[in-house]
Amino acid sequence: MISETAIQTLIDKLGKENVITAAEDLLVLGYDSTPGLHATPDLVVYPTDSEQVQSVMQVARDHKVPITPRGSGTGLSGGSIPVDGGIVICLNKMDKILEIDEENLTATCQAGVVTLDLFNAVAAKGLFYPPDPGSQKISTLGGNVMEDAGGLRGLKYGVTRDYVMALKCVLPDGSLLSTGGKSVKDVAGYAFKDLLIGSEGTLAIITEITVKLIPPPQDKRTFLAYFDDISIAGAAVSKIIAAKIIPSTMEIMDKATINCVEDYVKIGLPREMAALLLIEVDGHPAMVTEEAEGVERILREVGAAEVQVAKDAEEAASLAAARRTALSALARVSPTTLLEDATVPRSMLAETFTLIERLTKKYALTVGTFGHAGDGNLHPTVLCDERDADEMKRAHAFYDELYEQVLAWGGTVSGEHGIGIAKKEYLARQIGPGGVAVMKRIKQAFDPEGILNPGKIFADGQE
Amino acid sequence: MADKEKLGNFTPENAPEYEDVLQCMRCGFCLPTCPTFALSGRERSSPRGRVALARAVAEGKLEFTEAVKEEAFFCLDCRACTTACPSGVRAGEVMEICRSQAHQFFPLKHVSKSFREFVLQKMLPNPDLLETSMLPARLYQKLGIQWLVRHSQLLKLGPEWVDKAERMIPELHPPLRPQLADVIPAEGEQRGRVAFFLGCIMTLMYPEVSRQTVRVLTHQGFEVVTPKEQKCCGAPHLTEGDRDTTKRIAQHNLDLFMALDVDAIVTDCAGCGAALKEYEELLEEAGEHDKLATFRAKIKDVSEFLAEQGLRTEGLKPVKKIVTYHEPCHLCHAQGISKQPRELIKAIPGIVYREMEEASWCCGSAATFSLKYTTESQQILDRKLENIRATGAELLVTANPGCHLQLAWGLKQAGMTQEVVHITELLGIATG
Repeated sequence: MISETAIQTLIDKLGKENVITAAEDLLVLGYDSTPGLHATPDLVVYPTDSEQVQSVMQVARDHKVPITPRGSGTGLSGGSIPVDGGIVICLNKMDKILEIDEENLTATCQAGVVTLDLFNAVAAKGLFYPPDPGSQKISTLGGNVMEDAGGLRGLKYGVTRDYVMALKCVLPDGSLLSTGGKSVKDVAGYAFKDLLIGSEGTLAIITEITVKLIPPPQDKRTFLAYFDDISIAGAAVSKIIAAKIIPSTMEIMDKATINCVEDYVKIGLPREMAALLLIEVDGHPAMVTEEAEGVERILREVGAAEVQVAKDAEEAASLAAARRTALSALARVSPTTLLEDATVPRSMLAETFTLIERLTKKYALTVGTFGHAGDGNLHPTVLCDERDADEMKRAHAFYDELYEQVLAWGGTVSGEHGIGIAKKEYLARQIGPGGVAVMKRIKQAFDPEGILNPGKIFADGQE
Repeated sequence: MADKEKLGNFTPENAPEYEDVLQCMRCGFCLPTCPTFALSGRERSSPRGRVALARAVAEGKLEFTEAVKEEAFFCLDCRACTTACPSGVRAGEVMEICRSQAHQFFPLKHVSKSFREFVLQKMLPNPDLLETSMLPARLYQKLGIQWLVRHSQLLKLGPEWVDKAERMIPELHPPLRPQLADVIPAEGEQRGRVAFFLGCIMTLMYPEVSRQTVRVLTHQGFEVVTPKEQKCCGAPHLTEGDRDTTKRIAQHNLDLFMALDVDAIVTDCAGCGAALKEYEELLEEAGEHDKLATFRAKIKDVSEFLAEQGLRTEGLKPVKKIVTYHEPCHLCHAQGISKQPRELIKAIPGIVYREMEEASWCCGSAATFSLKYTTESQQILDRKLENIRATGAELLVTANPGCHLQLAWGLKQAGMTQEVVHITELLGIATG
């Protein structure tokens, strides 16, 4: 529990309306989008600037209270769940875009800015912020940085990490750390910025972010390709990459996902197809034409059942929007959607689909698979019921076996969601005990008291 | 219902289904669409948060507390979250059920309880009584007392909502229901026969709108049957958490309209249309599945119906106005009717149509919300007025009496000159 003095200090610094103690509020700030995970904090605070974050951190430090940072709670590995109670620090009220620097092509904003709001603000000035996680309408930039969020354009444009130039953050001792800047080149000392990106809120609380902006593509073309067999879709992706064409987007949905998404969006997706690929090429008009021809040729060569070109930007946008709803749409089918984030080298895509199909049968599960095929980043999602213990056991066995093979192929247990709570058991399998030990020493250096976002990344016994 | 198994800390009667709250996988797609979350920034005032509260009550982790009750009534029930939810969670309906629960956990004090029961159980289900009760209000306006009250600021002394309600009421005319002939023949070549579901607020406050609805329908070639025994759709009862009265009314209307030989049951009130379409879920325990499904299929909002049948545009007179359209929540979110009203507006010659930003964002009326939460309602309304202003429109078209009242009042308060019209009034103008 948190002492009355600590609460009073926080009220003095943040104002009464930003210090929340009502049971009902606490209850609903103890989850993110990861199924089955929930913990209730003792207190929730809404700081509005870096100084207030420092004040909160100092209180947590002085009273040795766990502190868990949170944005909009769209995380998919449990990273913002306050497993040990304590303080949840919500950064949603830090939602100001502080600067759009058109000379340096950068934007600086507070951590709580919603990703799409930043995208729209820079687009209004003729600039482009490419990272676009599926949750872009809801998720915050701070959360994106903490989890190193990917997105639909990751294939060509990279992920959040590739756009972060500078960070301002509060360390667990309450001090401020600024790292990076607007200089394009910067090799002064250790790359703290890169260490903090994807650190899942375990090393510091990010309060301000400066991102790199680029000119938007002049032209683009969107395709939908349907397949009778999902591994042919996988082969198509590998062939397109091998032909040295890098589309901005290559997203896949299997039959189960197509049907759930169609139930929701009702745009006429073909329910009987085994898979579809949503492909977008963009850039200079001449290049778009050339690449589009290449993509279409390869799709026909590998045996796509049908290839359609979006007739206009509106149709292309509605297809991308439909894809963004895939996970939530799958939740129509079952009470629990156990989502994974398996990522393989792109040459192994077809084999991965075959593997998923085999394991689905072996463990008698219903699985919907979608994801960023072009990145090799798939989200096989087990559609189950958390009340069915046997089914949950089979689901975990499914993932165990899947990850074993994915790692053997040189893949990773998380492409973009992070380790959080959900994948703690798998981390050591990928990076080995030595890797975990170094990570823990880093955690120790930043957070010797272990108050910041405890219970994440490292499995019990590894902490 | 009584033999239903108790779900956590809910009372067994009119409790939510556990599956309905479990359905939410907390992705947050609802967050940017929720007007109350936009206002407060509090997770518990978001659809995801509200469903989480209901789930905690269902799982016995939380009592049905005052805060749960507050959230149930603070929800606008605008259903924007239902439109946004890929998983198919219906947070608005879960909150409607929680309102019903709230009355069991927090019974009203004697006087309020009697008043509420009188209005919901006696007055609203009885059209004759309802219409008679409006007579004093009409006299009040006619005899100039309204002028006196408004200018004397007398009501400033009373509760804020009484004052606001008094100011919102438009000029009243005799109710339409008793005036309409039972059957009005189609003009020209007959295309079909429809029943007309009037709606209380429409017949009482906007009789001219419904007169135009009937006129447009007959002009478009439909014979219009108006059964006089129809009762309120039940939406106010659901809003106030009186599910039992809703079910009684629903059964009456279902039997009444299903006994008619009509192709469709048309309404010009988005709130009524939504309520009627949801009789199927409301009455599912009655076991009349086929009858309910047929009834549901016959319910049509007037713009849905006309768009489906194809508007006869020959002979329509040009309306030289700049027009924008506000989507009533219960039309676009609850019934999924969004394209049709725009198509009809654009089909009228002479009209310059300008889409407003956030056309489907609630106007803040939301049944009694605008009276209970005057400040919040005003904030939501201000956002809407700003979007209307930006279009430069002369006419604001909408399709629901609640929105109509709120928007007309808001525009007047803000000194804006746009006139609010129902879509059938606009079609009525074009019809000549």
